[in-house]
Amino acid sequence: MNVVLAVKQYISKMIEDSGPGMKVLLMDKETTGIVSMVYTQSEILQKEVYLFERIDSANREVMKHLKAICFLRPTKENVDYLIQELRRPKYSIYFIYFSNVISKSDVKSLAEADEQEVVAEVQEFYGDYIAVNPHLFSLNILGCCQGRNWDPAQLSRTTQGLTALLLSLKKCPMIRYQLSSEAAKRLAECVKQVITKEYELFEFRRTEVPPLLLILDRCDDAITPLLNQWTYQAMVHELLGINNNRIDLSRVPGISKDLREVVLSAENDEFYANNMYLNFAEIGSNIKNLMEDFQKKKPKEQQKLESIADMKAFVENYPQFKKMSGTVSKHVTVVGELSRLVGERNLLEVSEVEQELACQNDHSSALQNVKRLLQNPKVTECDAARLVMLYALHYERHSSNSLPGLMMDLRNKGVSEKYRKVTTFILVEYGGKRVRGSDLFSPKDAVAITKQFLKGLKGIENVYTQHQPFLHETLDHLIKGKLKENLYPYLGPSTLRDRPQDIIVFVIGGATYEEALTVYNLNRTTPGVRIVLGGTTVHNTKSFLEEVLSSGLHGRSKESSQVTSRSASRR
Amino acid sequence: MASLDDPGEVREGFLCPLCLKDLQSFYQLQTHYEEEHSGEDHDVKGQIKSAVRSHLSDFKKHRAARIDHYVVEVNKLIIRLEKLTAFDRTNAESAKIRAIEKSVVPWVNDQDVPFCPDCGNKFSIRNRRHHCRLCGSIMCKKCMELISLPLANKLTSASKDSLSSHTSPSQSPNSVHGSRRGSISSVSSVSSVLDEKDDDRIRCCTHCKGTLLKREQQIDEKEHIPDIVKLYEKLQLCMEKVDQKAPEYIRMATSLNAGETTYRLEHANDLRVEVQKVYELIDALSKKILTLGLNQDPPPHPNTLRLQRMIRYSATLFVQEKLLGLMSLPTQEQFEELKKRKEEMERKKMLEKQASLESQRRLEERRSDLPSRANGEVVYLRRGSAPLRKAEGWLPLSGGQGQSEDLDPLLQQIHNITSFIKQAKAAGRTDEVRTLQENLRQLQDEYDQQQTEKAIELSRKQAEEEDLQREQLQRLCEREWEREREQFQAASLHTRTRSLDFREIRPFQLEPSTEPCTHLAHALDLGSSPVQSSATPKTPSPSSALEPIRVWSGPPALGQEFLPQSTMSQQREVPSLNPFEEEDSSSPTAEVSTSPRAAEPSCGPPSHILKEYNPFEEEEEEVAVAGNPFTNSNSPAPNPFSEEDERPVPGNPFEEATCTNPFEMDSDSGPEGEEPIEEELLLQQIDNIKAYIFDAKQCGRLDEVERTAFAGQMATPNLERDDYIGNVSGGGCFKANLDVLPPPTPSQSTGSPGLQVPDCPAAPALAAGRSLL
Repeated sequence: MNVVLAVKQYISKMIEDSGPGMKVLLMDKETTGIVSMVYTQSEILQKEVYLFERIDSANREVMKHLKAICFLRPTKENVDYLIQELRRPKYSIYFIYFSNVISKSDVKSLAEADEQEVVAEVQEFYGDYIAVNPHLFSLNILGCCQGRNWDPAQLSRTTQGLTALLLSLKKCPMIRYQLSSEAAKRLAECVKQVITKEYELFEFRRTEVPPLLLILDRCDDAITPLLNQWTYQAMVHELLGINNNRIDLSRVPGISKDLREVVLSAENDEFYANNMYLNFAEIGSNIKNLMEDFQKKKPKEQQKLESIADMKAFVENYPQFKKMSGTVSKHVTVVGELSRLVGERNLLEVSEVEQELACQNDHSSALQNVKRLLQNPKVTECDAARLVMLYALHYERHSSNSLPGLMMDLRNKGVSEKYRKVTTFILVEYGGKRVRGSDLFSPKDAVAITKQFLKGLKGIENVYTQHQPFLHETLDHLIKGKLKENLYPYLGPSTLRDRPQDIIVFVIGGATYEEALTVYNLNRTTPGVRIVLGGTTVHNTKSFLEEVLSSGLHGRSKESSQVTSRSASRR
Repeated sequence: MASLDDPGEVREGFLCPLCLKDLQSFYQLQTHYEEEHSGEDHDVKGQIKSAVRSHLSDFKKHRAARIDHYVVEVNKLIIRLEKLTAFDRTNAESAKIRAIEKSVVPWVNDQDVPFCPDCGNKFSIRNRRHHCRLCGSIMCKKCMELISLPLANKLTSASKDSLSSHTSPSQSPNSVHGSRRGSISSVSSVSSVLDEKDDDRIRCCTHCKGTLLKREQQIDEKEHIPDIVKLYEKLQLCMEKVDQKAPEYIRMATSLNAGETTYRLEHANDLRVEVQKVYELIDALSKKILTLGLNQDPPPHPNTLRLQRMIRYSATLFVQEKLLGLMSLPTQEQFEELKKRKEEMERKKMLEKQASLESQRRLEERRSDLPSRANGEVVYLRRGSAPLRKAEGWLPLSGGQGQSEDLDPLLQQIHNITSFIKQAKAAGRTDEVRTLQENLRQLQDEYDQQQTEKAIELSRKQAEEEDLQREQLQRLCEREWEREREQFQAASLHTRTRSLDFREIRPFQLEPSTEPCTHLAHALDLGSSPVQSSATPKTPSPSSALEPIRVWSGPPALGQEFLPQSTMSQQREVPSLNPFEEEDSSSPTAEVSTSPRAAEPSCGPPSHILKEYNPFEEEEEEVAVAGNPFTNSNSPAPNPFSEEDERPVPGNPFEEATCTNPFEMDSDSGPEGEEPIEEELLLQQIDNIKAYIFDAKQCGRLDEVERTAFAGQMATPNLERDDYIGNVSGGGCFKANLDVLPPPTPSQSTGSPGLQVPDCPAAPALAAGRSLL
């Protein structure tokens, strides 16, 4: 169950099947992202793929000495483009791979367009998702829901992505979904439908314990994406934003041209692979080691290169040295920027209060801290808004809830209308108690209470990483076979008797890197259990708030119109 | 794991299919497999683990149905065309031609077509009907197309060929609109002649013409192999060769560097040259690909250029990755030394073994001697006398034997006597004990005295050493200061290059027959051999390092006068080589002595060097000022290594700036986005060549350096040749001045003066040195 490997295998197979010779890779917008997540350019160059083209680009030149490998999503536009392409072929021979199930009629119209017999292969290779980490995938869909229901286009894309994932991992799972979410149920049904329809594809060798697909909804846990993060990958995403492994550093003051945009990929960056799940303090010391290591290898002063032996050592280490110098400058820049932001935005203090809001139950102290931070000029509007959101979500029904006062403070601080709107909206529509199917804050059973009590006694190891995503509890219960069927029912009559082994969790509305870390740790610590996490996207706070806003667009406009009409009538 | 060799053994349990490790449980096996083997290549290469589905058979079925129709149509047209061109048109009468034409295909009746089916114009006296000779249909003159006889012949002959070679012409045409416009214009230009007679062309409709043109295009494509493909195929062959040879070479080099004699050095050298030649070929080929069609008008499509750049880029990556993995071979001398060292090591090992055997034997002997000791005679031991005879007298305790070997003889003596005393005491011989004790006391006195003497000597030595160091420090400071004035880092490279060049010249000693400059080697011999001799005594006692200093303090001119005439003349010829001697002495001795500079004056005819030393410093400065290309490039340039830090890493294009990453390049972002690749490529290439040269120099192959430098020059786009030369020779900064491009001329590139520099950087120094002498 390694999604990166699965996609990589598909791509390698495509390239291999086309045989020797110069090749061009024809892709669409989405498959470009899919390929770039698993292959580096130099890697793919070694396989004689020299050009990368978009099927929709108009000014492609006729190059009959190239073989074309087409990796496309089976959309209507792509099929049309391909038909055009085959009518007037630009390359000598075409190997066509669709990233998902393609209809028979599309195959027929393609065949009829291939009058010059240039097509050598037509296959379905189910790499139809973005493989972020070995156990994390995304579909890069922002704004999948309208109100509480699916946007139909996104539902079909999500269904395709999820079924492709199942096929690429060769899993024909039982499905469980979150009852409180209509969207989860809908998606579960759609996936089931595809499995039934394409039953031939889903005929895999039966495993002893069938795999399990668990479909969740983000609105059940609106807390996790609102927290500041302190592990490397999550923190980079939270503060800088990761987009298909790329990080935009152009806003970093005094950034050099080469580092405007950097790529953080665990596949070919050893330092990143080793450190992506470590927390910020550890990264700091590791970066220092990396630097020292680098300094050792770096030939700088003349004395060091005077002897032939030095030179020789240098030349022999040269490629590593160059690679290392790239890695060093990249990570030093990224970590430097992170720590600058932490200082500038007063994030240590903010995060401490966030964690208190998320994990503890002391209302008055929490309120006091939030109020204090709202007065702090260093706290940005986003951080201020998220503090209030966390407060609102946690103390929604608290007797001395003083949300209105905090909202007033936000307004006084000059926080923009947008953020204030989201703040109220997140409570009312998105993740409030009314919407949630489960209780996020107070532990339910005796075991959990004791655990929390013990934790309190022991003292907290790290104030900034107290929070465990709600997903952890859900998965923990699931692994132990204790996940309640009345909250997470099976789709269909059959249920799993044994404890599940292969688990695919999908979060509608987006997963987070904190959850990815949780899954990573669960995979590590529970032998025999393999979990893959997916989401319509991978969120940081900013993108999460966007998602909330866009999903609320529908409902809110109605609501606001109601409000205005009411206020108008009052006048 | 050895179980594979043992066919009898059958293993059970949860074995990993790849490494045959026994994992205790299913889960452990599963996790083991995922952890250990999931990243391995054969996993990716082997049968795919994920689901796939092929639509190919479906596709082919649908396609076949469609294709047949077209094949038939094309074949029909070509057969008719053949009939139309089968007779001698030029000499036949119009009427006869028309009759034949009509017999090929039935013409559509004039009355049935009142309007042109293509453009819709009404036919009249002025707008006459024309028949397509290939399908018989009617069109107006405007819509009429013509097929010239050469084209017709080409089509018919090609189809004959293809019919004979293949059972069916698989390609089928398609109505095309692109070619139409062009042919219309050509028609209008010759239309005045048209009405008279069609002796060298055949009328046809646009549809038929389109079909035939399509066919023609296919024929052309089949025959035409673009240059890039030819070059690319060669490139691939070369790469395959490297993949074959490089591992073999690496095996050899490792073995040789370890001082083993499994392979012969010459053989390895040959292989190395061979591999390096292939690299050069790769470099040259990819460079050729890069510049394909650059001078053409109109310039090639940006995508073509991009393809060429990418091929070049990947070839560069290949060379960089593989070439730099090639370790250098030892030179002949180094190899001899390595061999010797290895032999010595082995001998030592043998000796140790023998010694241990010996001592064991002696031990046993002594044990058997012990009983005889009781009735043996007393032996008076004298100070400094040879160790006691074994057969008689007291024996030293065997336990002490092992350690005492390394000790001072006096100490050993003392030790022995102490043990004798013990033995005598045990035997109860008091008078013997007394004499022995007397002996012991004398020995101890002697030892003490020696120790004090030693201590005094040592302190004196230390003082001298300190003086020496101080002096060196001062000199170093002077040097440093001078260098700082002409840019610190640049100078460092300068020296480095020189030190390399020394090595590069050395091999001429080995192959003097070919080289005219044996005198260089000779001079160098003078330089290098004393170094070794002077370096050797230095190791045990630092005091020997003082000698050169003493000489230095003496009058230098005198020393020069006393030089043998022959040496003098040689020195005159190659005075500049002295710096190399100096460099040479410093580099080998660096490992031996704490202060490399101390050895400098000791090499060569010492007094002469001493004189030479300071001038050289000046000379270096002068050279820099003189605008010599060699140093000139240094002075403005920062250290290339520090510069390289700033550069993006070519190995990881995905980590680089956006524009180099095609994955995110929008198709229309085109040329702006591509410039950096160019730069990147160039930079890379420079690095490449640099590495080449370093490497070649290290192995002491001047000819290779020369060739490489040449190749480098060829490989570097002429546009920044000047920068490049500076870069290669001085190791100075390379600035890709893409804006200022001097026009490329191949002849210029070969004859450029800069070329000499990497070959023999001694040249400027040589000249300067001569003038100073």
